[in-house]
Amino acid sequence: MIRTEGLTRRFGGVVAVEDLSFEVRTGEIVALLGPNGAGKTTTVRMLSCLIAPTSGRAWVNGRELHEDPSYIRATVGVLTETPGLYRRLSAWHNLRFFADLYGVRGAEEKIEEYLRFFGLWERRNDPVATYSKGMRQKLALARALLHEPKVLLLDEPTAGLDPESARSVREFISELKGEGRAILLCTHNLPEAERLCDRIVLLRTRLIAQGTPEELKRRLFGTRVVVELANPSPELVSSLGIPEARSAELVGEKLYVEVTDPRRDNPVLVRRLVELGAEIIAVREAETTLEDVYHELMGGADAQG
Amino acid sequence: MPRVKAILLKEWAEAIRIKMVLFSVAFLPLFMTGFATYLVWQGKALPEEARAALLNTSLMYFFILPVVIPLSIAAYSIVGEKEQGTLEPLLATPIRDWELFLGKALGPVVPGLILSWGAFGLFLLAAKVILGAIPKGVLSLPWLLSIFALAPFLALFAVFVTMIVSSRTTDVRAAYQFSSLAVLPALIPLLVYIGRLTAVNLTFVGIEAGIVVSLNVATLYIAVKLFRREEILTRWK
Ligand SMILES: Nc1ncnc2c1ncn2[C@@H]1O[C@H](COP(=O)(O)OP(=O)(O)O)[C@@H](O)[C@H]1O
Ligand SMILES: [Mg+2]
Repeated sequence: MIRTEGLTRRFGGVVAVEDLSFEVRTGEIVALLGPNGAGKTTTVRMLSCLIAPTSGRAWVNGRELHEDPSYIRATVGVLTETPGLYRRLSAWHNLRFFADLYGVRGAEEKIEEYLRFFGLWERRNDPVATYSKGMRQKLALARALLHEPKVLLLDEPTAGLDPESARSVREFISELKGEGRAILLCTHNLPEAERLCDRIVLLRTRLIAQGTPEELKRRLFGTRVVVELANPSPELVSSLGIPEARSAELVGEKLYVEVTDPRRDNPVLVRRLVELGAEIIAVREAETTLEDVYHELMGGADAQG
Repeated sequence: MPRVKAILLKEWAEAIRIKMVLFSVAFLPLFMTGFATYLVWQGKALPEEARAALLNTSLMYFFILPVVIPLSIAAYSIVGEKEQGTLEPLLATPIRDWELFLGKALGPVVPGLILSWGAFGLFLLAAKVILGAIPKGVLSLPWLLSIFALAPFLALFAVFVTMIVSSRTTDVRAAYQFSSLAVLPALIPLLVYIGRLTAVNLTFVGIEAGIVVSLNVATLYIAVKLFRREEILTRWK
């Protein structure tokens, strides 16, 4: 549905996106995760044929970008970084205008359907100027969906919203999944990416890593085991000295040990710890959050760049 | 051209909701018509020849209206899109660059011409009521050509200038003030007439048409270049 190969965009001397390759398949939500200035918006603009790549290729809905921009624009739904609504016009009028531009058939029914879906129907005739931020974002989402696009590009859909509105926007997005759409969701919000998305593409001008949240965690940290100790001491860490423990770190009473295969390595680890005189209260698998992964990867990128 | 129509309807729906635009669109034609009528009323006791001269001066006002009315609509129409951040979602639709350009150009021009000509009709009616008949020489071919054939080009020129100016500013007032320079070519006949340099004859209208059309071509060229998707999104301020 979306595929890019070495996608690159420069603005004069500034490289906004460099050599980006990734894929979003039908039925998937993929997060494009990265800090401000990472090139997320630039990527969305290239994929919606608003600006041309400097180099590299991309296919959206089976067509290459430059091959048929009109077709791509007609079959892609975009939620831009700012809602971009006509404030003096009503919600209904805003949608009607865009329905006409997209050539939506049965526009009136579609508009009603989406206004009801997002809970805006009662307020449909009020000028958008009177709407809250959350309502505007929902209206912008309704607009992005109006022409039933198979590919959805959502640029920071919850940025700037209060937690309550952000949650309800997230719920709507998760409902959009599994209707045969391919969704690319740009965000710098980690929990959002982890909760909503099947896969994550970490971007900071260049691609940093990609995979499911689980894969990213495992690839980076292997499997981490927490050993709760009654008698924690730094010597335990320094004298551990077994190859099964890829790394070990003591935080308070908890010893975090990175192993490759818990079934094989944990018994060795426990035996060794007991030998060293450790009094073990509990052993379990540690939870790695996506945040750990993010900071690890982005920190590394920082050091390089 | 359903998309051009959609743009036009949207432009007008927005314009009537903006006080500044509504003011200049509704008030200016009425003011100009009133002023021109007042001049005619003042001169109603004058001899026929002097009356005709006075009426000719009044006609100038209907030469300025087709520039001034589209100006205010156009200034808002472009800067308003920027202010509201609507250009990006608009350009993400399958609309073609020329459809957007045409919609944005005709949006101000159509009401500008309708209102200018409406005001002119109103003025003729008032003159007829006051004077009993419209003096000979007033509705001469050069004047009619000026008002009906040149007006669309003057209006388009105003819009192209506004488009160019608006691409460089986010302030409606600044856009409006800078674009007001577009009124200059419409003032040429006024200056010529007041300076009694020549009578408004066909040669004169021809020269004026030549100037206005050349200005149109030049500004159209620049405006079209500025109105490309990529340009709008990456270069407009
Ligand atoms: N029109 C532009 N002109 C010049 N530089 C730009 C332009 N758009 C984006 N950039 C630069 O490209 C980089 C990526 O920006 P952007 O894609 O907006 O990042 P993100 O959406 O991830 O915050 C930034 O350094 C930004 O300054
Ligand atoms: Mg962005």
